[in-house]
This record gives sequence, structure tokens and C-alpha cells, in this order.
Amino acid sequence: MYIGSKEEKSSAYHVQDEASLLRASLDGEIEAWGEIVNRYKEAVFGLCLGFLRNHADAEDINHDTFIRAYENLYRYRVEKRFSTWIFTIASNLCRNRLRYRRHHPIAPLPAQMEGGCNPATTIAQEDRQTQIRQGLSRLPYRYRTPITLRYYNDLSYHQIARILSLPEGTVKTHIYRGKALLRQEIGEMEVINHA
Amino acid sequence: MHEDKLEKLLRDTLQQEVSKERHYLDGLEKEIVAELTGQLPKRGWLQTLTRLFAQMQRSRRRQLAVIGITAVIFLFLGIFVSERVPLVRGLFSVYDKQQKATIATNSDEGQLLFVMPAPGAQTVAVVGSFNNWKPILLTDEDKDGIWLTNLPLPPGRYEYAFVVDGRWWGQDPLADEYVRSFGGYNSVRYVGYTGDKI
Repeated sequence: MYIGSKEEKSSAYHVQDEASLLRASLDGEIEAWGEIVNRYKEAVFGLCLGFLRNHADAEDINHDTFIRAYENLYRYRVEKRFSTWIFTIASNLCRNRLRYRRHHPIAPLPAQMEGGCNPATTIAQEDRQTQIRQGLSRLPYRYRTPITLRYYNDLSYHQIARILSLPEGTVKTHIYRGKALLRQEIGEMEVINHA
Repeated sequence: MHEDKLEKLLRDTLQQEVSKERHYLDGLEKEIVAELTGQLPKRGWLQTLTRLFAQMQRSRRRQLAVIGITAVIFLFLGIFVSERVPLVRGLFSVYDKQQKATIATNSDEGQLLFVMPAPGAQTVAVVGSFNNWKPILLTDEDKDGIWLTNLPLPPGRYEYAFVVDGRWWGQDPLADEYVRSFGGYNSVRYVGYTGDKI
């Protein structure tokens, strides 16, 4: 099939399945990769934001993940899930960025998000979400990462284990402990607020 | 807090965080495509090679193509090096001359050709048991750094060595064997024997 202009090409990519997009990307069709970016950018960004708790870093790593993934696309095995593969790249890049941040610290994500005044949500819900954000920012990295992958990216324990290179049991334990710590933090904050 | 409630809260919070930042993601794909388009020609040779080898693992045809291309590259590289590098050229010449010497000796038994590669040397001589260790000068008429002389010798075993600009050179690669002598080595060749010995 002949596809002429750039616009025609990119509209054709919208309807293609993931495998053929990846094959086209591997053959040098960068627009096909653009469609992959379009499909995964939000999921990868959410993962980065959940891991790093910093907008600027999350944007950086989101961008770098797609560049790095394209450059290493020949390593990707079709029999594996693409989402797992790209999340692994993002996860590794986040880990590297956090190591860098140990020596070059910046302000963490504000607990109260700008523009968060949604009239549909109650003040109580807003408070809870703020508490969750604060709790996530304080949570150790080893607990925060599986929690993000589980509750933002909706991944199975098995997939999380593969992305983080951990045994499945450890992933379950980390999520359980992370949630326990969060619950504890929220409880403490509520006590402080009510006092 | 109840387990389900916490999980729901976590999901909502994380999704809300991303949805509020969604505008940052607008046009990311175009940005990435533009960057990759600009970056592609800059791919280093090592990266290209790695990419090629990784692709090799998937396709038999690519595998054969890469092996073929590599073989051709090495062949041309070998020819290029043999033409340009004097030492390699010298070794090839020695081999050629050895072949000629073998043919000559076989057809004219008793002639022994002494060949010594010594590019840039002023004098090259051979000393041996065939004339009480008196130097016989080798010549390099075509100035290719390969010095040689042809000596008529009766059948027998001869110990010898080369002297290159006054330095003893006791291990001739064309010798049949080596013997130790005065803390160094001498070469040995046979004339008039059957088999592969000259």
C-alpha cells in the first residue's frame, strides 16, 4: 500500500496495531514511533511522576524514555509485552535520576496541586488527596515504585516484579508495607488536623 | 482506613496528578519525532554496528549478509595492509622468495638461498660453518628491504647466522632447526637431503 504525504502517514498510523507500529519504527519509520509515544506518553509520565514526585524531572524522564526506547528498539523482543519493556526503561531512568538528586536536591512536588479546585470534589476529598500526595512523597522509593505501578499503571504483581527486577513476593510485601505506612501517615495527619 | 478506600484514593490521586499535568504532554510525540529525525544521521558507527548485530539475531538472511560484508571488509583491509606496511610486505616477499628458492633448489640441488628481511639495514651478511664463519654479503638489488644471496654448497649440514649492521641474527625463519651457541642461537639447514630439508 502506498501512503503519500506525512499527514496521510500519521493518520494511517492511528489505526495500526502496536506490533505493526513497532515493526515500522524498527524499519526507520519515525512517525510510527510518534504514534507509540502518543499512546504511552501518559502512562510513562504517570509512572515517572509517581516515582520521582517532581514535575520537571518526570517530564525530563518521560521524554528521555521515548528517545532511549527508540534507540534501543532493536533489543525489544516481540514476544514480550511492550508496556513492560518501556516501563522498565522509564523505571531505570527514574532510579538514575533519583541517584543524581541525592547530590543535587530540588524542592519536592507540592502537596496541593495548582489548579486543583474542582467544584465536583469535596473539601474532604481534596484533603485526603493532599494527604496521599504528602504521604507518597515521604514514602521510601522501594515502596513508592510498586504502589505507582500497581495503582496508576494498573499492572499485575508479575509485571511489576519484572519491571523492578524483584521477586513477586517482595513486590507484594513492598506494596503492603507502603500502604501500611501511608495509612499510618494519613492517620497521624488527621490527628494533627483535628487537634 | 479501609483497604479498598485507600486503594481507590491512591488511584484517584495519582490519576488526578497526571490529568492536571496533561497539557505538558501535548505535542510530545511531535517533539520526539523531530528530535529523532535530527538525531538519526548522528548515530555513531559503534551504535550502528551494535544495532546491526542485534538485528542479525533475528534474521538468517541479515546474519549471512553481515558475515559476507565483514569478510569482504577484512579481505580488502588485508590487501591494503599488505601493500602499505613494509613489514607485512616484507613477510610476503620472503614467502615468495622462499617458494622460488625451494623450486630453484629442487631443480638445481646444492644451491642454497639465504634470505633476510631487513628494511633500512646498511649491510647484511651471512656467516656459517660452510666457510669458517667468514661474512658473505647479501644484496638487495630491488631495494625492497629483502636481502639475499645464493650459495653453491655440497650436501651436508650447515650452521649459520645473519649479521645485520653488526648484530647477530641467529634465528632464520627458513632454517630447518636451531642450535644454541655461545649464549645465542644459530640456524641449521641441510643440503642434499631428501624430504622437506633443502
